[in-house]
Amino acid sequence: MKLKKLTALVMAGLMAASLAACGSEETQTSGTTETTGSASTTESTASTDTGSTTEAPSAQGGKLVIWTLAKDLESFGNRYAEQTGVEVETVVIAPEDYPTKVQTAIMGGETEPDIIVGEPQMLGDFFDNGFFANLDDLGAKDYDGKIVDYVWKVGQDSDGVQRAISYQITPAGMYYRRDIAKEVFGTDDPDEIGKLFKDYPTILETAKTLKDAGYRIFASDSEINYFSGDSAWVVDGALNVSDARFEYMDLVVDLYQGDLTAYANQWSTPWYQAMSGEVPILTAEIQNYEDSSVNVWDADQFAEATADLEKTTVFAFGLPSWGVLTMRDNVGETSGLWGVCSGPAYGFGGGTYIGISSLSERKDTAWDFIKFCTLNEDTADWWIEFSEGDTVSLISALEKHKDDTNSVYGGEALYSFWLKQAEGIDYSKVTKYDKVIGDAWGAAIGSIKTGQASREDAINTFYDTVASTYPELTINR
Amino acid sequence: MGYKIKKGILYFLLILLALVCLLPFLLMMVNATRSGAEISQSFTFIPSHYLKDNWVRLFDYFNLFVGMRNSLLVAVPATLLGAYFSGLTAYGLAMYRFHGNKVIFGAILAFMMIPGQLSLIGFYQLCAKLHLINTYVPLILPAIAAPGTVFFLRQYILSSLPPSLIEAARIDGANELYSFHKIVLPIISPAMATMGIMGFIGNWNNYLLPMIILTKNEKFTLPVMMATLRASLDVAKNQGATYLAVAISVIPILLVFCFFSKYIISSISAGAVKE
Repeated sequence: MKLKKLTALVMAGLMAASLAACGSEETQTSGTTETTGSASTTESTASTDTGSTTEAPSAQGGKLVIWTLAKDLESFGNRYAEQTGVEVETVVIAPEDYPTKVQTAIMGGETEPDIIVGEPQMLGDFFDNGFFANLDDLGAKDYDGKIVDYVWKVGQDSDGVQRAISYQITPAGMYYRRDIAKEVFGTDDPDEIGKLFKDYPTILETAKTLKDAGYRIFASDSEINYFSGDSAWVVDGALNVSDARFEYMDLVVDLYQGDLTAYANQWSTPWYQAMSGEVPILTAEIQNYEDSSVNVWDADQFAEATADLEKTTVFAFGLPSWGVLTMRDNVGETSGLWGVCSGPAYGFGGGTYIGISSLSERKDTAWDFIKFCTLNEDTADWWIEFSEGDTVSLISALEKHKDDTNSVYGGEALYSFWLKQAEGIDYSKVTKYDKVIGDAWGAAIGSIKTGQASREDAINTFYDTVASTYPELTINR
Repeated sequence: MGYKIKKGILYFLLILLALVCLLPFLLMMVNATRSGAEISQSFTFIPSHYLKDNWVRLFDYFNLFVGMRNSLLVAVPATLLGAYFSGLTAYGLAMYRFHGNKVIFGAILAFMMIPGQLSLIGFYQLCAKLHLINTYVPLILPAIAAPGTVFFLRQYILSSLPPSLIEAARIDGANELYSFHKIVLPIISPAMATMGIMGFIGNWNNYLLPMIILTKNEKFTLPVMMATLRASLDVAKNQGATYLAVAISVIPILLVFCFFSKYIISSISAGAVKE
């Protein structure tokens, strides 16, 4: 019964989408008034190119309702309202409840919101349920190639239909200390330092060199996680554990057991502190909370309890491009001493993707808004300035800002770097199984490094977990 | 001597318990004066000086007092209606003998077991058809049917309301509703106050349903508004503002609690009957 209803809704959504699509095509060619949409009325921009703001529809008093999980879109919405006169209503919803809210509303047949968004891991379900309207029908195909490729692909459903576009890219990079690099390796050039992270065995060598010099390569052993997706977890319906996965596993275990990190947990107090300078080297027991004499979440107590521990400075952090902002807020006195280079592989993490609700009655205004957010160079310029360093997805804007330097990172031109990293991302390696399988793999690594299980046992447990979660996958042990 | 030691130990334990209960509140208030970075880095009872920053940041997101008004508009009627009608139902089930009494009570018990989240999409569709989306009606009216409260009040009436009291009222010529209002209500008011507090806290903190039903910022209730603080690029920065919002939002709950708890104590001795 439920399935029937769902199919009916999806069909209705598709029908509405195709109707609206006809409408927009009509306006594109003849410029007559929109037939299926409501108050959004004549769209003059549907056929134009990326368009500067002057090409946006002149004040016509339409309305647009945005449901978002990131406050960013509120700023975009306000700016859009200022420039076009469209009345924009932004509703911000907590990220963990966002899927519930959207699902209930759209399955309940709600025609508002017009704009809905999603993070990469939510998009698969949203697309499958038909919540996002088909953007190709509105003309998205014309803009192929203007947006960084992997972002464009993330916004496509399994049939390759464009359903969402993001205004930002989130490729991963290695953030490293230039002063330490000069001292230990004799250079702080990002290309040269990138070679020290080029593959897993090399990272282990680098880690050992740094330890001998009195530093630690990473604060935690999770820093390479964002780069670990360089092969697909599932190929042709079979689980694929590539050699690189095992190399990654061995590296994490070696880093941990070889005493090569500062044993901080990612996002904990000492991890943040490591961004601004010296930190005590914790022990494995403290990291696992086996030794509770040190409270890693409390700075004062932490300083007191670890006064006797050996101190060290951490060399690098592995974070996506939004880490630029996280680092900036936490580096303190080491501002300017940082640099960013490439990691062992290409990877990305997070990002907000904008799409149109399949039930929206104002699809043309909504599409204009999406173009405004993602394909408009003026908006991109403004966003770079407004967000103080977020990385946009519009290629022409990235190229325009390619020489912009960032003083926190020793004057490095970050936008050209991120563009290069983003171009390397192969989205075909991303599957809907990634989250669960990745977590299971992480758990296996965790139990090996702490000695809770032998390598063989842990890997077998991993296979069992995957087999029971996804019975449809073939698993070659 | 032994008595004094015993008492000393007892007091010590009670004070310890009180501290355990109150420290989180203190921590919440202290954290409301600290910046997000400070909160994520350490834990202390010494207030910092970011109260104003947090306030500004909070009001940059939404107007807390609008949220508070909205929450009151929902929680107060929902609580009052829920308590009154539950009392009426419980009284009927406990005091009248009629066919199907047991069946109805059994059905009410059975409904206690069904989690509300199950019917979410159906409820949304119903509200959409009735044009009740974005109104407070779907948040208030269903509160009238509170199986848990009915169950609790029924047990309370059975144990503390002697049928002879009602019989006496009937002999004196009171009609049924009159005797409910004048005799039953005062006697069961401690139980109703207890359930009222629970109900108010539940309605005040209710998050899922308002989040689904309300779609306009200016209609959001407090918990829905506060959740938007988490929807920012840098959640850590908003920690202080979140604590401030929570600290302010518990004030009505504390007030209600003070008001109702007086009732709980004062009414226990009321309504006795001479055997």
